[in-house]
Amino acid sequence: MRRLVVVLALLVAACAPVPGPTSDITAGPTGAPRPAGAAEVSAPPSTPAAAPSCDATASLRPTGPPPEPGDMPDGSTMAKIAARGRLIAGVDQNTYPMGFRNPATGTLEGFDVDMAREIAKAIFGDPTRIQFKVLTSDARVPALQNRDVDVVVRTMTVNCERAEKVAFSSVYYQAGQRVLASRGSGITGPDSLGGKRVCATKGSSSLTNVANVASKPTVVSVPNWTDCLVMLQQGQVDAVSTDDTILAGLAAQDPYTEMVGPKFTQEPYGMGIPKADEDFVRFVNAVLERLRTDGTWTTIHQRWLGSLDQAAQPPAAKYRD
Amino acid sequence: MTAVVTAPTPHRVTGLVKSTPGRLSLIALVLVAVSLISGALIGFGVQARSAALEELATRSEPLGFAAQEVYRAMADADATASGAFLSGGVESPQLRTRYEGDIAKAAAALTTATGESTRSPEVAGALTTLSGQLPVYTGLIETARTHNRQGNPVGAAYLREASGLMRAELLPAAQDLYRAETANVVRDQDRAGGGPWTELLLGLFSLAALGLAQWYLTRRTNRLVNVGLLVATGLTLVSLLWVVVASAVVASTVSDSRVDGSTQVDVLARARIDTLTARGDETLTLVALGSGRVYEDRYAVVTKELGELIATAKSLATEPAVRDAVTSAEDQYRAWQDAHQRIRAADDTGDPNAALVIALGTDPGGAAAAFDNLDRDLVTAITRARDAFTGSVATARGALTGTVEVVALLALGAAAAAVAGLWQRLKEYR
Repeated sequence: MRRLVVVLALLVAACAPVPGPTSDITAGPTGAPRPAGAAEVSAPPSTPAAAPSCDATASLRPTGPPPEPGDMPDGSTMAKIAARGRLIAGVDQNTYPMGFRNPATGTLEGFDVDMAREIAKAIFGDPTRIQFKVLTSDARVPALQNRDVDVVVRTMTVNCERAEKVAFSSVYYQAGQRVLASRGSGITGPDSLGGKRVCATKGSSSLTNVANVASKPTVVSVPNWTDCLVMLQQGQVDAVSTDDTILAGLAAQDPYTEMVGPKFTQEPYGMGIPKADEDFVRFVNAVLERLRTDGTWTTIHQRWLGSLDQAAQPPAAKYRD
Repeated sequence: MTAVVTAPTPHRVTGLVKSTPGRLSLIALVLVAVSLISGALIGFGVQARSAALEELATRSEPLGFAAQEVYRAMADADATASGAFLSGGVESPQLRTRYEGDIAKAAAALTTATGESTRSPEVAGALTTLSGQLPVYTGLIETARTHNRQGNPVGAAYLREASGLMRAELLPAAQDLYRAETANVVRDQDRAGGGPWTELLLGLFSLAALGLAQWYLTRRTNRLVNVGLLVATGLTLVSLLWVVVASAVVASTVSDSRVDGSTQVDVLARARIDTLTARGDETLTLVALGSGRVYEDRYAVVTKELGELIATAKSLATEPAVRDAVTSAEDQYRAWQDAHQRIRAADDTGDPNAALVIALGTDPGGAAAAFDNLDRDLVTAITRARDAFTGSVATARGALTGTVEVVALLALGAAAAAVAGLWQRLKEYR
């Protein structure tokens, strides 16, 4: 009888429902996405030292004051632009206060945009005779080489590597690279970036510079400078490093960020022009010469970069004839 | 009969099969088994067919449509958000309302689709992406909007990030979902509309068994006809005919549901998705301001495919209402292409504001009007084709009404008649 009970108990136990594994809820990827085109830079671009040494900031000397609007010399690049009816300028639409799209009006504005309009004004007598093409940092040199644009006015640093492929005007602004980080992050400058993630745009000289600082940060590249601010705000990078002009614009959009540390590079901005258009380089330099002396440069600087440096003077032009 | 009921020893079984009454009893048993089993199998077959039809009507097709709606609403939301950014300033109430409506629609359609995730585990990944990332997308859009309101250009970067998320994650997931649900429709149609071959075989097997029994009885008893077996044969034949005819009707109407419905809906839905993709690319080309080659190239590819899909839809159309809507869509497609040419001409010659007016303005000859009309025509055509589909499936379901019950009753009847027929002969051996 007892044996029967045992057998029955075993049978019942065998038939009882077996506890299965408990189900779990698995979430998909968490956190904000990254800006389209963001990527870690594994192999830092060549150091500036590796580029051929030259005196890139010395541009072609103007042949006197620029000709009157509407009176361009026959056969010149300017005459061709005049015949087309508009200047085609490569600018930025994402970099406050250099070249950006004003969200309220949808129009392009900024220091670089105003400088480009001055060139259009010199050719046509009308600053609105201009077509803007938005270029990312890495698209500037190809756009000039393909002649998609007449001129690039887009925080473009004059350096020897680029000077081999395109021509530059005289320097129209002297910027310098710094570091932007969240307040209280403990980042104090380029020396404290070791092991940190730092953002810069693809194809910019800033990326090359920051990838080669001694503290060896991890560099993340994105298409536009505002993408860097997005990544900083989303906690995907610890700092942004580029020219003080651009960083000031980013800091103006987020009071929880601040520029830290010294200028650790010199970034002379020049207007990029197709290498063959030497007459246009001289013309642009003549226009810049006038902007420096007649106070236009200072007016434009005060409008956009006054907060950065109240007493800034236009950089003196260097020529190599 | 008693010999059958008591448990047979090996000796008794051989004796049983050797004696005529034993054989008759065995035949009766076999006939009962054949009738009942084949009846049950045919019944299951019909039941499966009917279940596939119900699945088609209540789940696969509505879910396919829900997946299409998820895609459409999200793509439209993204194009609207980009358009609102392009137009500058605080977005217009119309664009904001449209965006909000799209998001609400996408969420609602997603709820429908998610409810069925247990049925189709292959879409679980796509559904997780959609329900997980849609709130992230709207969050980014609101961040972009807040920055825009404060005049911060970083708003555009958030919009780009949102748009990138939409194009890289959300829309592909919605497309996977749509493909899976459309595959379900085809699968259910195959299941419901296949030929009744199993049923035919089973029915013929029953008939053959009855025929053999009749032949044996005729030889043994010298009586030409056994009424019971004859009745059983008649009932089996009726059952077989019923099932075959009903299945043939179902097969034909399911084929109608493909030709008049789902095939057209699929082409039209793909055309609609292309319409939205092309509109998004058109807008993004303008946002890129002179560096939108990538978008413009994709626009060209997508609109070419769109033109082909509209032409295909026109050639597939079986109903006048659908054909009319598709013809109108074709006109709108051309009007849009014209407007796009003008947008490109204005944008390429340095007049982005004129391009914007043609692209986003309310002018009836503009791209916005043509796009809206094209979408409306495609919706009309899709609705009509869906109606045709639903109608065909309803007819098919009607054809199967009561078939399982009839098959079951006829199988029971045939079994009873066979037993009764053989009982008559068995009684003679008492």
